[in-house]
Amino acid sequence: SPRFIALCPTSIPSSAGEGACIEEEQRSRSELRERFLRTLIKMSNKPVNFDMYEGVQVRAKFGASDIDVLNFQVSELQTPIGVQKEALLRCHDMISFSFDV
Amino acid sequence: AAGWRTITAPQERPGERRSAEMKRLYGENAARIQAMETAMQLNFDRNQDRIQPKYWPVIPLKL
Amino acid sequence: MHGWCERKPPEWSTYLSKLVKVTAHSNQQYEGWVFTVDPVSASMVLVTLPEGDRAHVRVVLGHAVESVEVLQEENKGNTLRLASLFLAHGAEALSP
Repeated sequence: SPRFIALCPTSIPSSAGEGACIEEEQRSRSELRERFLRTLIKMSNKPVNFDMYEGVQVRAKFGASDIDVLNFQVSELQTPIGVQKEALLRCHDMISFSFDV
Repeated sequence: AAGWRTITAPQERPGERRSAEMKRLYGENAARIQAMETAMQLNFDRNQDRIQPKYWPVIPLKL
Repeated sequence: MHGWCERKPPEWSTYLSKLVKVTAHSNQQYEGWVFTVDPVSASMVLVTLPEGDRAHVRVVLGHAVESVEVLQEENKGNTLRLASLFLAHGAEALSP
């Protein structure tokens, strides 16, 4: 899949040294990814502030994310021109977002 | 007798390929990461079907 | 930072639990302790710990990261607090 090609380690291990290197990369990737997934789970149903491009700032309740981190489902989105009950935000439109735990 | 092979053998199961990819990326932790991702994506897909939210803003801010 | 998104997971891991200052698009700056860097999107999860049990979490999208500066090395107390914030089963679940 395209997702795999983008993430895939570039070299095939041909020696024990490179194999250990791949293993370290796998361990590192697992820990980082699990922590990120747990962050998204923690964010469920919480109010989140989004800083987006073009100086746009909005607030919404976080619902769910796809695993490729491309789209967020949110509800009660407070836009500059009113509230949209359900919405899909593009992660590429965002610079950062924040919430309290 | 060789006929059925040409029909069934080349069939690739997407789930199997994804598992192999996950194994390559995440090593011995692949099953756990894949389980978490699958649950998350399922939740997302279910909401998409049920709620069908519209993109905001309609046009991307960053092209 | 040039190539932040193209780095390898072990390089991102070197930032774990450190206090950093991230400069993002249009010179926005964020400070916090690094809880993780998502290997899929290169997004950084930064945590600040005001007094009490509360924590503030900021996620900077990988594509918006321009530079990362380490302000302080990790300290054990904060590392444990970060882990316990996100884990139902306590800190040990994150250790390999």
